[in-house]
Amino acid sequence: MSNGSDPLTPLTPSEREMVAELEQLGREEILQQLKDNLQTAIYIELATIPIYLFTYYSINRTATTGEQLDAASRYGNKAGGVIMSVAVEEMLHMSLSSNVLYSLGVQPELYLHSPDPYPTPLPYHNPVGPPGPDGDRKVLIPLSRLGYEQFWHFLQIEYPEKVDAWPEDRDWNTIGQFYSYIRCLISCRQITDEDFQVHGKGTQIQSGNYSVNNVDTLYPDQAFDPWGLPPPVPNDYASGCPAAAVSEYTNKADSHAGAAELITVNSKLTALQAIDTICDQGEGFQHQATDDPSHAEFSHYYKFLRLQAQLERYPDHVEDLAPLPVPPDPILPTVTDAELSEVVASFPDNPRTGSYPENLQALSNLCNGVYQYMLIMTETIFRVPPEEQKLFFNQGMHFSMIWILDKLIQNMRGFELDDGSGNVLAPTFENYDLGPRSDAYASLQALAAAITDPAQKSAIGYIITRINELPDVSPYWDDAC
Amino acid sequence: MSDTKSGPGYPVPQPYPFEDAPTWPSKVGTPLQPAHPLHSCLGLNSCKGQDRYGAAGPPDGPNPNVPNACAGQGYCSTTADHTCHVLNDCKNQGGCGLYGNAEELNHPGLNACKSLGSCATPINAERFTTTGPNQGKSVWARAREVFEQNWPEIRKNIPDAPEQLGPAPEPFTETGPPYLWISDDNEERGNMTACGASGLSGAGGCS
Repeated sequence: MSNGSDPLTPLTPSEREMVAELEQLGREEILQQLKDNLQTAIYIELATIPIYLFTYYSINRTATTGEQLDAASRYGNKAGGVIMSVAVEEMLHMSLSSNVLYSLGVQPELYLHSPDPYPTPLPYHNPVGPPGPDGDRKVLIPLSRLGYEQFWHFLQIEYPEKVDAWPEDRDWNTIGQFYSYIRCLISCRQITDEDFQVHGKGTQIQSGNYSVNNVDTLYPDQAFDPWGLPPPVPNDYASGCPAAAVSEYTNKADSHAGAAELITVNSKLTALQAIDTICDQGEGFQHQATDDPSHAEFSHYYKFLRLQAQLERYPDHVEDLAPLPVPPDPILPTVTDAELSEVVASFPDNPRTGSYPENLQALSNLCNGVYQYMLIMTETIFRVPPEEQKLFFNQGMHFSMIWILDKLIQNMRGFELDDGSGNVLAPTFENYDLGPRSDAYASLQALAAAITDPAQKSAIGYIITRINELPDVSPYWDDAC
Repeated sequence: MSDTKSGPGYPVPQPYPFEDAPTWPSKVGTPLQPAHPLHSCLGLNSCKGQDRYGAAGPPDGPNPNVPNACAGQGYCSTTADHTCHVLNDCKNQGGCGLYGNAEELNHPGLNACKSLGSCATPINAERFTTTGPNQGKSVWARAREVFEQNWPEIRKNIPDAPEQLGPAPEPFTETGPPYLWISDDNEERGNMTACGASGLSGAGGCS
């Protein structure tokens, strides 16, 4: 494993030209543009998370497992691991952009700023892009289950910029060009290190709250024996095939610029490093398929493209892929639509709570309430005393993501919609209004108490107990809306 | 017997390889030394008689009704079982391996307090670390290594603690407790669960 990191990307000729243009503006205008665009960057990163999570939760990763792992599950588990690996890096990117913005003295905003409704444009994205599988050029991203078309929409999000592309902050064509514009703003001579020291490092989101991999970003590359004997000598896997011997790690430790993946910011250099990590992980390092100097981790774009390249429709694809990185040849073994259906839940496209049967709407509201409360807790991290941040993160963010939202959605998909569609209850990721942040905890508890259906209470009673154990953020927001 | 069953995990190895080991203790017994630090797994106890069998010792196995003789020789955790990261109730309860940052996962069994521990206890032998310096390697072996490294410091607070740790009990000395033993030859898979959606935790899934 490399302990290295990506070198800081130098400004391209187009970026140097843009910096010269921007430097004609006054310092205050440059600074305001930087703050506004960083908040937009946070909205963009936030927008990607429910899209990826929705598709992730449509996958049953363990339909078959262990020594019984079949081809469909092998693909489904891989797709799950890869999509989760991207989702956690999007959370990292949102945290990095938030740290940069916060260092400038601005509290990042997330609550009630998730895309709604779907399909959705991304903030300030050019609404017209390259043609997709059906020839459509619209850039509208749906909530949809795992499938060939959904991968195209993922590719629309992560589409790589051309070499020396022009920086864009409005009608941007690629996220890379949007961040390129931010990199130009930071590089202006009117912006100084002191600008990034308004809010100190101590109250920013700390490095220890990010993990490169976890058990959900891994997948088994082949069947394995989860029930048999461990190797007689630890870490010697030659004598058997335990899970450790077949696990693939989707993220790599060196795919970042700066000292760590999640860094705090107090200078132009650290701000640029944060932006570099975001761009390299999303689109690739120097227009390559990989995002790191060791070429060990694929970029988001290429991760999704490789998953799509294993589906049976890929050899005849008509979607307009970027010339760089060069698209992969079809990847074997080919996965058919029929195989895919074995591991994908029947999630409806772009669901809304109001469209669900009345008896299931309370569950959907609770899920949306948890989602919004997680966004409030993320905003709250910046208000928590530094010495309490790790505990708050574990008891709030990690606990809610893994032990509440994840389990709630898994339980929800056990409820079939009574509308003849055969679809099941899926998360809608709506902007459910929990009221002022100081009231949000009480509002969330009220949503949990509104689950009165016996079958639903039986299924998620233990999750409601966990919801009631979440930290109450109201003391941090007494003075705010 | 299990050999007539089919499905995941069957047929089990024949003969059952841990026939001579005591039956895995599903509940924490009363320890001989109740004031001593709790610990998260086999071979990580800090004094005689401190393991899951407690003062009564194991009910069967090679030395029935005889408590373990020394620090490092206990059979299993004295902390309450839990399934994953941040769900621990107390210090040293984190099993580690599956969720958590690189630093946390490199120090299994050494968390500072409630909610700061990683992953399920006990630490089944099949579990491997998902990130950090120990990535891809045995969590239990790392936990034992960390325990041995920290033993000189730990023993300062324990009257009459030996200078040297004893070996972890046979037949798990090198590996830690296998899931096959914890699950009583795959018959009691509910004896422990561990976390994650990928099916790679080496134990039953959690909720």
